[in-house]
Amino acid sequence: MVHVIVPSVLAAQAEGRQRFEVAAAAETVGDALRALPVADLLFNERGEWNRYLNVYVDGTDTRERGGPACPLTGAREIRVIAMIAGG
Amino acid sequence: MGVLGLVGTRKGLFLLRGDDARRTWQAEGPLLDGWGVYHATVDARDGTVYAAANHLVYGPTVQRSADGGKTWQRSKQLSLPEWSGLTVNAAWHIEPGLPQEPGTLYLGADPGVLFRSDDHGKTWEPNLGILEHHTRDRWYPGAGGLCIHSIQVDPGDRRRMYVGITAAGTFRTEDGGQTWMPVNQNVAVDHLPELYPEVGQCVHKLLLHPARPERLWQQGHCGVYRSDDCGDSWDRLDGNGLPSSFGFPIMIDPKDPDTAFVIPEKSPEYHYSPDGQLAVYGTRDSGQTWESMSDGLPRPAWAAVLREASAFDGDSLYFGTQSGSFFALANGTWVEAARHLPPVLSVEVRQWST
Repeated sequence: MVHVIVPSVLAAQAEGRQRFEVAAAAETVGDALRALPVADLLFNERGEWNRYLNVYVDGTDTRERGGPACPLTGAREIRVIAMIAGG
Repeated sequence: MGVLGLVGTRKGLFLLRGDDARRTWQAEGPLLDGWGVYHATVDARDGTVYAAANHLVYGPTVQRSADGGKTWQRSKQLSLPEWSGLTVNAAWHIEPGLPQEPGTLYLGADPGVLFRSDDHGKTWEPNLGILEHHTRDRWYPGAGGLCIHSIQVDPGDRRRMYVGITAAGTFRTEDGGQTWMPVNQNVAVDHLPELYPEVGQCVHKLLLHPARPERLWQQGHCGVYRSDDCGDSWDRLDGNGLPSSFGFPIMIDPKDPDTAFVIPEKSPEYHYSPDGQLAVYGTRDSGQTWESMSDGLPRPAWAAVLREASAFDGDSLYFGTQSGSFFALANGTWVEAARHLPPVLSVEVRQWST
């Protein structure tokens, strides 16, 4: 079981839920995020991660581990963070 | 009864409720907190609120609420066919269909695409006639993108529709959207080598008069125009009494086809009130003459009003500024109904029961 934590703007789009539990069957970060009720706000219409999204697995930036293909073996927490931007 | 203003801002949707006199207002919001609400409207057929809501990180969405904005449901993700090589950049304008087609809505979006829904906004299908238009390679984006921001359905013939595209111009269909014809004759494009091209006009807002549907009005990048023949030809109207030909919004009086209102800005290079004199200009003679309506507006003011940020509800006028003020006309005098909102992107006004 992996816990997924999303920012407040996404939680508001998921009836207020900020934490989700994803079944262990999810092999990659992409699998886990596609199972969320806000998956359409994380992936564009071509199935790619939205550009200004940061995703961490147990504190490690997934960009260093293949992005959506990052394996979830032994992972406990996925944290989705909107990129910091001004304005 | 009172009036309900749906004010879309860069940071969410505000509901402003005013009394009959339009002098006392209460604000609720932000709803859809954190989303840029490019346009929000109430479907008069069933009371559903729709919002074109966009987010830098989470992308374009259409959101709908059946309970006056308390809860929202997202439409299925907007998408374009992979073969088009295009993806949806932003949702711009939602236009409910005619009373005789319940459940049908239209959505204008960036990059110059039109969607239709026949299930009350749950899902949207792109219009292929617009997507594959043979002139598309001559369309180009404005500062806000390549967007369809104006969708007008002829109330007497739902097969006849119009869209306004920045920057491609006005297009008309007479077969329910299968084919589209550019209708930009005599509409100038000052910034292209050819002054009157077939397409490439930067229409900022296009409206059809519901009681005289062959009459169209547009505020464009290069002038204010009226057509009395479904867009086949256009007359330029900004020579008599307007301080500038440039501006974004236009409003019409649903009771009087000869009446229209614009909010001029200095020029294409300087998007603010000419000489610091914020004013709405109205014509009651089809655009032959224009008169300033500024009583109650702040002076001086260098305001900018975006294309969707004004409304006429049949009784009065309303507009919002990029500096976060919302004004309502109350018995001939403008009232600042709200201030210090985030930048106002859109305004729609409906009657509501107090």
